[in-house]
Amino acid sequence: MSMDIAVDGLVFTYPSGVTALGGITVSVPAGQRLAIVGQNGAGKTTLVRHFNGIFQPTEGTVRIGDWDTKGRDIAELAARVGYVFQNPDEQLFARSIRDEVGFGPKNLGVPADEIEARVTAALARSGLVGMEDTHPYHLSLSERKRVALASVLAMETPIVVLDEPTTGQDARGVALIGEVVAELAAEGRTVVAITHDMDFCAENFDRVLVMADGRVIADGTPAEAFSRLDALEDAHVEPPQLERLRTELGWAEPVMSVDEFVGQLKTRA
Amino acid sequence: MTGVHYAYPDADHEVLTGVDLSVDAGQVVGIVGASGAGKTTLAKSIAGFIPHSEGGELTGSVVVDGLKVADATLAQVVSRVGLVTQNPFNQISGAKYTVREEIAFGLENLGVPRDEMSERVDAVGTRLGIRELFERSPYALSGGQMQLVAIASMMIMAPRVLVMDEPTSQLDPSGSRLVFDIVNGLADDGTAVVIFEHKLELLREHADVLHVLADGVIARSGSAREVLADPRTDEWGVGSTRFTRAARRAIEQKLLPATTALPVSLEDAKAVFSK
Amino acid sequence: MSTLYLDRPSPIHRLNPITKLIGVLAIILLVFALPYWWAPLAILVLVVVPAALLARVGGRLLLVGGAILVPLLLVVAIGQGFFNTRGETILFSIGSFDFALEGVLFAAAVGGRTAVLVTAAMLLLLTTHPGKLLSALSQNGMPPKMAYVISSTLQMLPAFRTRADSIILAQRSRGLKTRGNPIRRFAVLIPLLSPLILGVFVDVDERSTAMEARAFASTGPRTALEIVKDPVGEKVARWVVMLLAVGALVVSFMGLYPEMSWPL
Repeated sequence: MSMDIAVDGLVFTYPSGVTALGGITVSVPAGQRLAIVGQNGAGKTTLVRHFNGIFQPTEGTVRIGDWDTKGRDIAELAARVGYVFQNPDEQLFARSIRDEVGFGPKNLGVPADEIEARVTAALARSGLVGMEDTHPYHLSLSERKRVALASVLAMETPIVVLDEPTTGQDARGVALIGEVVAELAAEGRTVVAITHDMDFCAENFDRVLVMADGRVIADGTPAEAFSRLDALEDAHVEPPQLERLRTELGWAEPVMSVDEFVGQLKTRA
Repeated sequence: MTGVHYAYPDADHEVLTGVDLSVDAGQVVGIVGASGAGKTTLAKSIAGFIPHSEGGELTGSVVVDGLKVADATLAQVVSRVGLVTQNPFNQISGAKYTVREEIAFGLENLGVPRDEMSERVDAVGTRLGIRELFERSPYALSGGQMQLVAIASMMIMAPRVLVMDEPTSQLDPSGSRLVFDIVNGLADDGTAVVIFEHKLELLREHADVLHVLADGVIARSGSAREVLADPRTDEWGVGSTRFTRAARRAIEQKLLPATTALPVSLEDAKAVFSK
Repeated sequence: MSTLYLDRPSPIHRLNPITKLIGVLAIILLVFALPYWWAPLAILVLVVVPAALLARVGGRLLLVGGAILVPLLLVVAIGQGFFNTRGETILFSIGSFDFALEGVLFAAAVGGRTAVLVTAAMLLLLTTHPGKLLSALSQNGMPPKMAYVISSTLQMLPAFRTRADSIILAQRSRGLKTRGNPIRRFAVLIPLLSPLILGVFVDVDERSTAMEARAFASTGPRTALEIVKDPVGEKVARWVVMLLAVGALVVSFMGLYPEMSWPL
């Protein structure tokens, strides 16, 4: 069965009466790399928190594959949607990275010998090779964030949600997370990421949702979304560096990566 | 700062392994480095919290505004050096119920007369564009707003040296630019500013000098453009802007002359590529 | 904010918090000094209720006060009715337990005092912003560190609560089932509490650095941006009220009140 995400007419109102999402319809086919951008308070986190049942729609539906999230527990949806929170310090608890990363699979009922293999693989992917016995609190923030990432990767869910994966990461960390996103997509898994890093977004995703005031105001490939300057302005988002450069240079074609830029440069030379 | 070595109490290795650093009044100095390179440790050493509150052994010498930090009390250092730390939430005092009073907190502690305090709060609030937040609770703010309040709370104390550890981490592009513009303004008024940041494009536009902290030492110093053109930036974990990367690739493919000065910011890149 | 404060334009709100605090203290002294069962009732009707209405917080006071007092008073009344040792006038019996009038009257006297105490204190909290109360206290000589500990705790609690909620969500998102039998509930405590406690240590450390950077450790005289108004009239009124209350207490200790029916 295909693990598409189908959001239909989603409205979410907080108990306080504040409407955080004002009617969103979006479908994310399995294997897509989707980035969500916009200002704080635009509703990005509220939207993705509907995918694993943290929030239940006030109106409309959210479906993960053949499951309607309505009435399903977060722990149950965890088998389909892995969610990496922004702040690793709000989840790291174990005395060793092995236990920390093994926690999710254990909760999902994965057999012990398989957990060990998954932990090793998730750590390798997150740039933490051989750190099984380290205490998470002896690590830097960027490493702790990658432990949190590994702890969700080890759950091997068909959908992975990343909330601000690159904040607190240095250049190496950002590059590594880009690779993780590509690998997951290559395995047919869906990646949904909230991000403020537009360069990261342009280079690593198939599709970008621009959000403002609880609505999707632009939706398309990075090249399409980043050429919607009106929407970007409403969302207080700046286009990626090379896109700003090609605009300044007066080039007509959008540029999403160094390769594309140099490619265009060549045709002009 | 000369020959500074430092290890945290009970740690088996030094975080700073011989740092030499000097910052002049009126200068904006940027410091970049990989995660875990010791940036926060260096920030706290300049501001006197290392070793005064953190303990551990610091060797070498740190002199701030003529004051030898090792021989001074923390209060003496703090009266000259301001420190804006990374997490704005933990810089809100908790003692105050409005942003206006929160910003005044430091001056209250110093016993500054009320009229003067009120003027300075208003001035700093105007400068950072946060006067409409004055009557709100500091805890009812977004991360970015909190960060501006934290900066205002330190700026108001008019330190001779201002150390800022990732002061724009929660701000959007326009908020980050505002902070850097203000930093330049402070420097014009004679403050020495040390800013730990990894938004390279902003550092290129606003910092007078850039230092790379790697493995506990200053590995490279110079203008932002010189430093960020160094081929070792990846090795140091500093990274590079897409402008730099695009120019490097273009040079490799002989689309630009090998002597091209590598661009860091949009302005640089425009000049390089419009030829 | 998890405080009871309700912002209303009223003369009670505008009073100096110290005046209100002294008022509450005086009321407490009075209800314990006056040896009459009707005294608490009189204070409730003549002082607390009019003040609450004037402050336009009557409804909330009834709601919050009732939620605390009703169950408390019921328990006391039932307990005293059955088990008061002076019980002679039996109202009814359940099995071998006798329910006595003396117990109910004792409960009414205790309950009346409790009711005045709770409602008066509640009125203070409903009409006084905690920040203003602490500013007033520190401007009247409370050590700044003590004022800081109280106010930061009050302000930090909601943030602490938010963080606890985030931790629970993060762990449930990793498949942790928080519902179920008591053993399971106990087992989930470590992944929930451990990040919470470590987080507090980090916070305290970072916050103390930030506070020192803002000269909180300074030992010189301090000033305040916002001075809490304290008119002479209120200062005089405070002394008068306090003298009256202490006077009532002294008279009570000397046993000089005339006997009336149902003294206690």
